[in-house]
Amino acid sequence: MQTSSGLSAVPGIASAGAPKGASRGLPEEANEGTKRLRALMVEDEPADVELVLRALQKAGFETTEDIAQTGEEFTDLVRKNLYDVILADYKLPNWNGMESVAVLRQEGLDIPVILVSGALGEQTAVECIKQGAADYVLKDHLARLPESVRRAMRERKLREDHRQAQEELARSNRDLEQFAYVASHDLQEPLRMVATYTQLLAERYQGKLDSDADKYIHYAVDGALRMQKLVQDLLAFSRVGRQGLALESTDSNAVLQVALQNLEAAIQESGAIVEHAQLPAVVADSSQLVQVFQNLIGNAIKFCGSEPPLIEVAVLEKGKEWIFSVADNGIGIAAEQVENVFVLFRRLHTRAEYSGNGIGLSICKKIIEQHGGRIWVESEPDHGSIFYFTIPIKAIPKQ
Amino acid sequence: MKTQPEILMVDDNPADIDLTSEVLAQSKAHFHVSAVNDGVEAISFLRRKGKYAQAPVPDLVVLDLNLPHIDGCEVLSSIKSDPALARIPVVIFTTSQADSDISRSYKLGANCYLRKPGNLPEFVAVVQSMAEFWLGFASLPQKEKR
Repeated sequence: MQTSSGLSAVPGIASAGAPKGASRGLPEEANEGTKRLRALMVEDEPADVELVLRALQKAGFETTEDIAQTGEEFTDLVRKNLYDVILADYKLPNWNGMESVAVLRQEGLDIPVILVSGALGEQTAVECIKQGAADYVLKDHLARLPESVRRAMRERKLREDHRQAQEELARSNRDLEQFAYVASHDLQEPLRMVATYTQLLAERYQGKLDSDADKYIHYAVDGALRMQKLVQDLLAFSRVGRQGLALESTDSNAVLQVALQNLEAAIQESGAIVEHAQLPAVVADSSQLVQVFQNLIGNAIKFCGSEPPLIEVAVLEKGKEWIFSVADNGIGIAAEQVENVFVLFRRLHTRAEYSGNGIGLSICKKIIEQHGGRIWVESEPDHGSIFYFTIPIKAIPKQ
Repeated sequence: MKTQPEILMVDDNPADIDLTSEVLAQSKAHFHVSAVNDGVEAISFLRRKGKYAQAPVPDLVVLDLNLPHIDGCEVLSSIKSDPALARIPVVIFTTSQADSDISRSYKLGANCYLRKPGNLPEFVAVVQSMAEFWLGFASLPQKEKR
């Protein structure tokens, strides 16, 4: 509702304001001289409204204001109009200015609330700021108000920019995942034709053409099969992001055991010894955590030196997270490559030296980051590597 | 009394029809493979309509899901809801790995769901064991029994 207390000759923006819903974006910055300001005042004292407007005008603001005296009026106005700032008295007959903060939160609106009030006492003032008021200006220090408004608007602009950047990033990540999924999914079909028919060619005509032909067919088969593996890996990678997390209380000892079972052939073959401490229960997606252990231990076995692999899984509780570690006695990683190991499809060795597409650690990183953790590696060439990852300690969800 | 087993393959990819036929031609049992490229043709073939009036009654249908005009699931449900055809085993043979496709196919009465393998050795193994199982080991209802 709009009150014309005889003070606001300027029509409220209820009639002139921008249509709501189009964008809750920020009003454009006016020219340097005067600055237009759309304010919603929570105030029951006409004389105070006048003082506030005057203070703003002196500082170069051209203010259009609406006035709300009750919670209903306030809610109604913020739903209908766009405001740059809320200037709220703390004490009104029927409600207090701080409740406007709660209303804005409920409505999902980010409009700075500046309390313009008589003396509140430090305690109350601090409490108001804690609850989300942008600032607190005493009615007998109204000269401070313009700067407070400017700052609140600057901060809001920063928040808005930040939020937009975040949204943009999230959207582009989603697009990328969708692309990876579609590309890998649709690529599989024609690839299957190439792979099976070059294999059929090889089977039928091996030794019947000349040795060059045999070699060329072999290259074609090899390329097709490798591309198939890449596409499957890409699909697996994009699936980690798309499937979401099934978070549950998970015994990481059991998770490790599953990973070790899956790796049994490799462990047997390499003579690897895997030692592990007693591991905690964590809140995680257990099948994804299996993948992490499996990839890390699998790598430790694969990239072993001349000695049989010796792998140690340990855990440390630090602050609000568990730090897991998987240490090995393998070939290690050169310092300049330490960052690269987590990059998608990054391989540090030739195919002749070590097989693989360079997907495993990228998947680990994605899984751990989805869980709100971090993953990193400490290593020295020829002296093994220690991969660390963290899982935040959370309350175990009830069954 | 045993005649040559008849297989109807429904697939819009000629490369898959050729490859499957190749594999079956090499097996010891002598199969006769007929192939159609879409769902409408498949139904006409099975009901011996039009140019298919003389078509053999298949002992096994190998059905892709992704077909033009009428998709594989519709063909499947036509077969399984037709008392004259329902006894014919239908093997779904497709690239889809989607859980939804798998469960829908079985709900509609598919006898088996197989994913087309991406490389030749596996493809050969799958096609051979499919034919061997359904046309060799499995006991199926007799043709005229209703």
